[in-house]
Amino acid sequence: MLLETVRLALRSVRRNVLRSFLTLLGIVIGVAAVIAMVTIGSGTTEKVKSDISRLGSNLLVVRAARPDRSGSTSFTPRKLDEKDMAGLVKGLATARAVSAEAQSTVRVVFGAQNVSASVSGTDTDYFIARDWDVALGRVFTESEVRGGTNVCVIGQTVRGLFFGAGDPDGQSIRVAKTSCRVIGVLESKGTSGFGQDQDNVVLMPLLSFQRRIAGDRDIDTIYVSATEGVPTSGVQEEIETILRETRRIAPGADDNFDVRDMTQIADAMASATATMTGMLGAVAGVSLLVGGIGIMNIMLVSVTERTREIGIRLAIGAHERHILIQFLVEATVLSLLGGLIGIAIGLALAGAASLALSIPFAPSLAVILLAVGFSALIGMVFGFFPALRGARLDPIVALRHE
Amino acid sequence: MAADATLIRFDKVWKTYGKGEAKVHALAGVSFSIARGEFVAIMGPSGSGKSTAMNIVGCLDTPTGGRYDFLGTDAGALDRGRRATLRNRHIGFVFQGYNLLARTTAAENVELPLIYRGVPASERRKLAMRALAEVGLEGREHHTPAELSGGQQQRVAIARAIVTRPTLLVADEPTGNLDTARSHEIMDLLTRLSEEFGLTIVMVTHEQDVAGYAHRIIGFLDGHVASDRLKAEAA
Repeated sequence: MLLETVRLALRSVRRNVLRSFLTLLGIVIGVAAVIAMVTIGSGTTEKVKSDISRLGSNLLVVRAARPDRSGSTSFTPRKLDEKDMAGLVKGLATARAVSAEAQSTVRVVFGAQNVSASVSGTDTDYFIARDWDVALGRVFTESEVRGGTNVCVIGQTVRGLFFGAGDPDGQSIRVAKTSCRVIGVLESKGTSGFGQDQDNVVLMPLLSFQRRIAGDRDIDTIYVSATEGVPTSGVQEEIETILRETRRIAPGADDNFDVRDMTQIADAMASATATMTGMLGAVAGVSLLVGGIGIMNIMLVSVTERTREIGIRLAIGAHERHILIQFLVEATVLSLLGGLIGIAIGLALAGAASLALSIPFAPSLAVILLAVGFSALIGMVFGFFPALRGARLDPIVALRHE
Repeated sequence: MAADATLIRFDKVWKTYGKGEAKVHALAGVSFSIARGEFVAIMGPSGSGKSTAMNIVGCLDTPTGGRYDFLGTDAGALDRGRRATLRNRHIGFVFQGYNLLARTTAAENVELPLIYRGVPASERRKLAMRALAEVGLEGREHHTPAELSGGQQQRVAIARAIVTRPTLLVADEPTGNLDTARSHEIMDLLTRLSEEFGLTIVMVTHEQDVAGYAHRIIGFLDGHVASDRLKAEAA
């Protein structure tokens, strides 16, 4: 019986192809918008998350800062130094890695080629803290870090520019005014979320950088990688306690450094994009409602047009529920069809957007099923009133209808 | 015996439309009975109440006063759903304008009442083919109404009416849209069905020669039964 009704509904949709299509358009646009929004949104969320996790897992980033209620750091803060670093290394015995970094943008030269690259002085823990390994060669040894040897590990961009696909091991490159022997090539990290090339880097031991390039003993950043399973908020408190001691901050005074929990930031950004996605999806959902009203309108027309048919059916023994189901199924088939077309268009749009914006294409089965269910529901809800109107017709009046 | 043979019984049936001054009595205390197997023609000028009476006989409408018994039950007191069931089980309809579903084949049109009975598809097709054969339309089952002549369309409508093997066939001006030759063919068909299946037929018409096919003619005038006569038995 139901199968019969669905067949009948499809036939009636086919009979009025143009009208059915125009009616569907509202649902198609609504569903396409929701699917595209949500798919692009969750792609963006994934992108943000992966960008931040690419910095390193369970990472806390310590920087010197003058805490200001307004958050501005116009005043040059007191830098971090080796005392702070030593205090953290000693105090955070359970941390996976504690690494110091001093960084500057410097011209790097090899042969006739030269490039402006981010040059960092750091240590062996850096590779652990930032989940960054070498693709070729090796990282620094402890003794190279302690002794401040002139060795360096280069990023893929620098390698590509200077050596192409060749092995740069043992070659000397010039960093600022000092020459340094290449011992390894880092894995590629790609572009950061802010459009920065993360592979345009040269790493060297901290001491070498401080002596030959920076000319001071400052540390810009300390990376702390918390052990897996240890809540980063606890580690953050520990870092704060240790640094207040090493930097001799009086009780009650504000911190002059800044600890950022990248996990938290990642979560916050992800939830912000998720909220945005939800809002955009809701706005798109409104057009679904409009589409539903379109269906109601056309179903009312359909019931009026087919008053005589309803009269015939009632006369030969159809019950009210038969007529009700017939028109309900028709409305549902109509909006479901619109939903399916909308899903296809929405996914296509999201796919195109993910190519254009280089974000992952993240279709969600749950959202697609929800869209199917919702469009069917819209058909039923908005089809109900016209269907009921048809079912309640007086057969005598309906039969007389021209 | 008499109670058993009675199919339709109007007992002082009233049908009143409107209120106050605008009150119109389409039927004003009409009483008559029709036995199983009778072929009855209802005649009368427009506004005489014959169509109203036919709608009540066909359980499409209910009286506002009096009592209408169909198959021994008070059909006038039944609700919409029960009357729909009653129509589906016991009553077939033939209309002046054929009232077939457009763009739907003859076989599908005939199957329609069976769908509402919940008859399975294969069984439906078989019964529909049999009914089409009974009205002389073998081979036309895949034609849509637009591809059939008026007489053929009315035959499809008759097949649709008898496919459920009803007790009663209600025909509203069944030949109203047909020429004389076609009219006589349809009336011959109805007569044959009445004789073959013992089908009770109540037919509304205003044509004297069409009414002549019936065994009994009830004349309506101003909401009353004005005449009720049997065709000469001798003939």
